[in-house]
Amino acid sequence: MTSSPTPAPDSTTWIATQPRNRRRRGPLARFIRKPLGVAAAVLLLLGVVASFAPSLLTSIDPQAADFANVLSGPTAAHWLGTDSLGRDILSRIIYGTGPALLGVLIAVGVAALVAIPAGLAAAMFRPVDAVVTRLNDLVMSIPGIIVLLMVLALSGSMNWAMVAVGLLTAPGLVRVVRSSAATVTEEPYIAAARVFGVGKWKIAFRHVLPRIAGPILVNVSLIAANALVTAAGLNFLGLGLTPPTPSWGGLVADGAAVMNQQPWTLVPSGGVIAITVIAFVLLGDAIRDVTAEGWTAGRSKGASITRATTVPATSSDDAVIESADALLRVRDLSIAFPDADGSARSVVQSVSFDIGAGEAVGIVGESGCGKTITGLGVLGMLPGGARVVSGSIQLDGVELLELSPRERAAVRGKTIAFVSQEPMTALDPLFTVGYQISQAVRVHTGASRKRAAARTLELLEQVRIVDPKRVARSYPHEISGGMAQRVSIAIALAGAPRLLIADEPTTALDVTVQAEIVALLRTLQEETGLAVMLISHDLGVVSALCERAVVMYAGQAVERAPVGELMSTPLHPYSAGLLSANPHFATPGSRLQTIPGSVPPPDKWPVSCHFADRCALATEACRVGPIPLVAVAPGRASRCVRVDALQTEGVAR
Amino acid sequence: MTETGLLLDVADLVVRFRGRRGKQVTALSGVDLTIREGETVGLVGESGSGKSTLGNAVLGLAPVASGTITFAGEDISHARNRQRRRLSRDLQAVFQNPYGSLNPTRTIGSTLAEPMHEQGRFGRAEIQRRIREVLDQVGMPADSAQRYPSEFSGGQRQRIAIARALVLSPRLIICDEPVSALDLSIQAQVLNLLGDLKRELGVSLLFISHDLAVVRYIADSIVVLKHGEIVERGPAAQVYDNPQAEYTQRLLAAAPAPVTHVPFESR
Repeated sequence: MTSSPTPAPDSTTWIATQPRNRRRRGPLARFIRKPLGVAAAVLLLLGVVASFAPSLLTSIDPQAADFANVLSGPTAAHWLGTDSLGRDILSRIIYGTGPALLGVLIAVGVAALVAIPAGLAAAMFRPVDAVVTRLNDLVMSIPGIIVLLMVLALSGSMNWAMVAVGLLTAPGLVRVVRSSAATVTEEPYIAAARVFGVGKWKIAFRHVLPRIAGPILVNVSLIAANALVTAAGLNFLGLGLTPPTPSWGGLVADGAAVMNQQPWTLVPSGGVIAITVIAFVLLGDAIRDVTAEGWTAGRSKGASITRATTVPATSSDDAVIESADALLRVRDLSIAFPDADGSARSVVQSVSFDIGAGEAVGIVGESGCGKTITGLGVLGMLPGGARVVSGSIQLDGVELLELSPRERAAVRGKTIAFVSQEPMTALDPLFTVGYQISQAVRVHTGASRKRAAARTLELLEQVRIVDPKRVARSYPHEISGGMAQRVSIAIALAGAPRLLIADEPTTALDVTVQAEIVALLRTLQEETGLAVMLISHDLGVVSALCERAVVMYAGQAVERAPVGELMSTPLHPYSAGLLSANPHFATPGSRLQTIPGSVPPPDKWPVSCHFADRCALATEACRVGPIPLVAVAPGRASRCVRVDALQTEGVAR
Repeated sequence: MTETGLLLDVADLVVRFRGRRGKQVTALSGVDLTIREGETVGLVGESGSGKSTLGNAVLGLAPVASGTITFAGEDISHARNRQRRRLSRDLQAVFQNPYGSLNPTRTIGSTLAEPMHEQGRFGRAEIQRRIREVLDQVGMPADSAQRYPSEFSGGQRQRIAIARALVLSPRLIICDEPVSALDLSIQAQVLNLLGDLKRELGVSLLFISHDLAVVRYIADSIVVLKHGEIVERGPAAQVYDNPQAEYTQRLLAAAPAPVTHVPFESR
């Protein structure tokens, strides 16, 4: 097939919005940037040299006794001192490295060779799973030390003992491989591979194994550490390697025997074991990170805003804001996340809006536009590192940003309540629905157990649950998604709040259930005078519930309007684009009007119009400086300098 | 292939899963469905209706208890690896979750090459040429091939997943909620892309979705599923504008259209 469809008009700009071509470093270059990993690798490399060519590292014979210097501390001749026979401890450590590392290699090799295929097979083939799991439990219940003593007694060889150590530690790794592989096999790309007719083992090694390399590496490094300590323990007991042969465990035993005369001898012998264990773990971590960095986008973890930064002052909200007696008054709210270098990356810029008592206002926009963060900012529950950098949030005339965290918490639930997208995750699976609601009632009102129970049933009735008593006794897994969303609304209502922030409350639900929840919110609003801040990408849901809407794009409020007018005459090209992209209005067979490209990430937001790159109406004027949100009609505001063109030409619908 | 250009014929399909405590759960009971060459059939229903199960049964991802699935005249009800591999030339899939539909540890290039490698009859140069071609078809730049999925947005990943489905020039693509996880403006881009491919490549689509407006836009005919049974089927316009089954009417009434403030009726 050679005919290729003519690229759609929007695909050229699509290309323009590609992520920047981040140059990827090779695995070695990435590894070198991890100082702890490099230190561990250097140390273990030294160990390998010591194993193959100990004479390169020391010229002293490990068996040579220097009776003149028995039990000496560190000296120029004996850097780490001597033991009770005057033998050089450093030399004995170096000559003991080979057996120690070989033992670790055998144990790790055996464990990995047994556990990885077994774990993968258990995750991918149902019949195998039962066998592997039983066998695993069986091995785990065997007392390891007895097996080791038996193996040593029968074979007398340290290597066979390490094979046994590998087999005994394999079950832990089997479990890790099985559970992490089971999660990965649910992913759609596995299904796609099966559609191509890729065999199961090929899928396991090509598509599953690389994904779970992280947990496997970490576990393998722990197995290595464990094997080293076990080997040292056996040698300490005088098993496996017979005394004149240097072994790390034997050195500890020698040291322990003369502990009272020369405590120093324990330091190098114990120290080398401890350091090697740490090196294994650090190396495992570093390799895990290097493998994962190969395919994940870099992200800063646990960063906080440390550098004073100026958030672009695109504030200038010239529009007069509607209600004078608003319940919630948000002014110039700016929220920023910490960047990797500690500077602030703003994700919400100078957003202002009011919500009157009993009013429903929709916050509309696509993902990445800052609507959820705005909601969490009002709630005072910003996620990791994010903070309000400027602005004001007033609730009933009280400035929330000046409250202490404790006072803020008191406002949550009592005056402002929150309902999230995933009702099931909002409920604790271990407790009955009734218990969870009554707990919320007691926290907010201090009611007695009995009063709270009565109030619970009232609340369940209020959210239109038909059989409140039965539902109150149910556990979350026993109720449907729609029911769970009603319950989480009941919990939100427990403190008799005046404002409900609902973040995509219907998105995870089926359409028929969606309609019921929207109807419920509407009834509650009418019955109790509850104000609602509805965060949604769905203009249909917003138009069914809200009087007014704020359209957000890339961190800014770009339009504020009564919902009906927004739908009939959008006054910002982004609002217009959202409406025309909706297949509800499209004629089958015709092309949908699209907004080319996608919402840019916060670090790509220009100081000028954020939407200009995707806008058909954009001119030079859109790219020179910050665009203010200005009043364009009674009760309406738009952040667009081309609003006249939009009004006269209209936007294709 | 049969004379009418019949591509897929699902007859009296029953799919059962093993549920809790060994109980059998019937996901599909006696479903019939046909797709002709170049036709797009929309499959609509709510969660638990069995719509994804039907797609999965055709793809060999769900066990067929009874009934037959015939693709281009060949019985594929119980096709296994070898037959699947041959079948995958003509029968492909695009799944819902754009974040899980690509293996994050492999470059886009190796993901797109895999179906061709599996066929075992394409040379390296041919594979490279075809990858460039499909990337171009879905409006992605050629250098995407060297990158990893984490570098792309949800909409771009869905385009790549569509490119993977196109690599072997299939005759039927099962699209399981391909746009539901996407934002509205991105959804429109992907729907346009599917529309273009349908028109210009003549590929048939089984378009599975909970969103009636989307299905009406893309599909020639609509099948409505409820609890594993078909409650209504017909030309898209007819089902959408003049639904006969009570359940279809309820679905349509519930889907909120962004119109000037028409509140839902409280039920």
